[in-house]
Amino acid sequence: QPAGRKSDFSGESLWIDEKVETHDDTDEVEPIDAEEIYGLIRTIYDPEHPNTLEELRIVSLPQINVNKNHVRIEFTPTIPHCGASTQLGLSIRVRLLRSLPARFKVDIYVKPGSHVSEHALNKQLNDKERVAAALENQALLSSVEQTLRAFSGRV
Amino acid sequence: MAVQLPYQLEQIAELTGHEDRVWNVAWNPVKRILASCSADKSVRLYTYPHTLPPSKESDGRAAFSLLNTIQTGHTRTVRSVGWSPSGTSLATASFDGGIGIWEQEPPEDDEMDVDEVTLRERIRPDDWECMSTLEGHESECKSAAYSPSGNLLATCGRDKTVWIWEGYPDSDFAVQSVLMEHSQDVKCVAWHPVEEILASASYDDTIKLYYDDPDDEWYCFQTLTGHGSTVWSTAWSPTKSYLASSSDDKTVRVWKRVEQFKWECVLVLGGHTRSIYSVSWGPGKPSEKEGNLGWIASCDGDGNILVWELEEPTEGGATSPPKHRIIAQMESAHGVCDVNSISWNTKPGYEDILATGGDDCMLRVWRVV
Repeated sequence: QPAGRKSDFSGESLWIDEKVETHDDTDEVEPIDAEEIYGLIRTIYDPEHPNTLEELRIVSLPQINVNKNHVRIEFTPTIPHCGASTQLGLSIRVRLLRSLPARFKVDIYVKPGSHVSEHALNKQLNDKERVAAALENQALLSSVEQTLRAFSGRV
Repeated sequence: MAVQLPYQLEQIAELTGHEDRVWNVAWNPVKRILASCSADKSVRLYTYPHTLPPSKESDGRAAFSLLNTIQTGHTRTVRSVGWSPSGTSLATASFDGGIGIWEQEPPEDDEMDVDEVTLRERIRPDDWECMSTLEGHESECKSAAYSPSGNLLATCGRDKTVWIWEGYPDSDFAVQSVLMEHSQDVKCVAWHPVEEILASASYDDTIKLYYDDPDDEWYCFQTLTGHGSTVWSTAWSPTKSYLASSSDDKTVRVWKRVEQFKWECVLVLGGHTRSIYSVSWGPGKPSEKEGNLGWIASCDGDGNILVWELEEPTEGGATSPPKHRIIAQMESAHGVCDVNSISWNTKPGYEDILATGGDDCMLRVWRVV
């Protein structure tokens, strides 16, 4: 079992619901498209608002690119000084780590020009060592878990 | 594989046991031991026979066996392990901010009949004990490396600092210097194989070189710039005048000593498709060939391993690039997972043996054939 991924994610991710319907042939590589990825991340909550990333237009379908096993996601922070952007990017990464098959490599960037610390943010969100260390931080991890909490009634 | 390469990497062992990603692997320089560390907070030590089974022999995969598991007591990921040159001490660097020093009880005196070499290389099953814990870094430690004399230990971490510790008897350590030259996390430290020159690689995209001025103290005498992103790892050439570095910019750069305290980039090696997490420079197969610079092995986040052969340039000035060619490669070396660490075995007779550690929680041992 690869590190950082839960094979039996017990949370309320959309993925688990969809997976039930797929047939059990484990040798077959399941194709995953941008829409499915979008389905996984649109219901993440913004750490600072009672809304989801979809509602706040932080993520959108055209900002997701899937090329074989590589996923590239761009998100748009609500304001250029948004202090929660690191955590937001981390939430997206954790949701995908837990939901996507291990073969996927995920790159996460903020939309060019959308944040004052664009370069620093991009670098941090894509440094696996930084991410691994952040996820060992219990306080940070529980606030990430908060943003990944069950969404209420809307599918 | 599209191009016919002169060598292949044949997997001779596949070592399971870690419960989380393997971050680092390190060959003991004297004893037949391979160490690994993991996000599962443990260190595992494997041993291998004097004679590794010949190629193509299927049971060759079982040649490595677990010697010890060290439950380190580190409260977070053990990010790296470093052996002392004598092979008797192991340093662990952890995200918990601490550095552990591990040793076995010295052997009993009644072994006078055994010659010194045998004694030095003897592998004992005794437990490895924590002799010392070095505290000082403010946050995650990322690398620990003993100097060629074994008297100094360098450590680095997310607090942007490089620490140089001086060792005393009974695993006592005193801080000799705290170097605050980098503007971001320091990912890796590596000592020159002979001289007391230290290299550190950083998230700030640079490599810094330090020297202990006999009249003064440790200082940074050069900053190597050129990488376009985080420098994950550095390795000195066994021939002592070159340094290799691997980066998130998907290149390995080769730097050459052009003056006593000046290195210059002479070569940029491409071919990787994702962050290159680790680079190792071994002597290669023993060669009569003049100008042999050995083999550089590197591994990336797409699971690729590349091995280059380098030779001194025969023409051009001091900064002309070494002759180079890819001699072996392996795709999906750890399945779909990232390869985090790569290391040549430096013991004489084992120069064609490589170890890797990956996100699949495994170590793999490869032979260049």
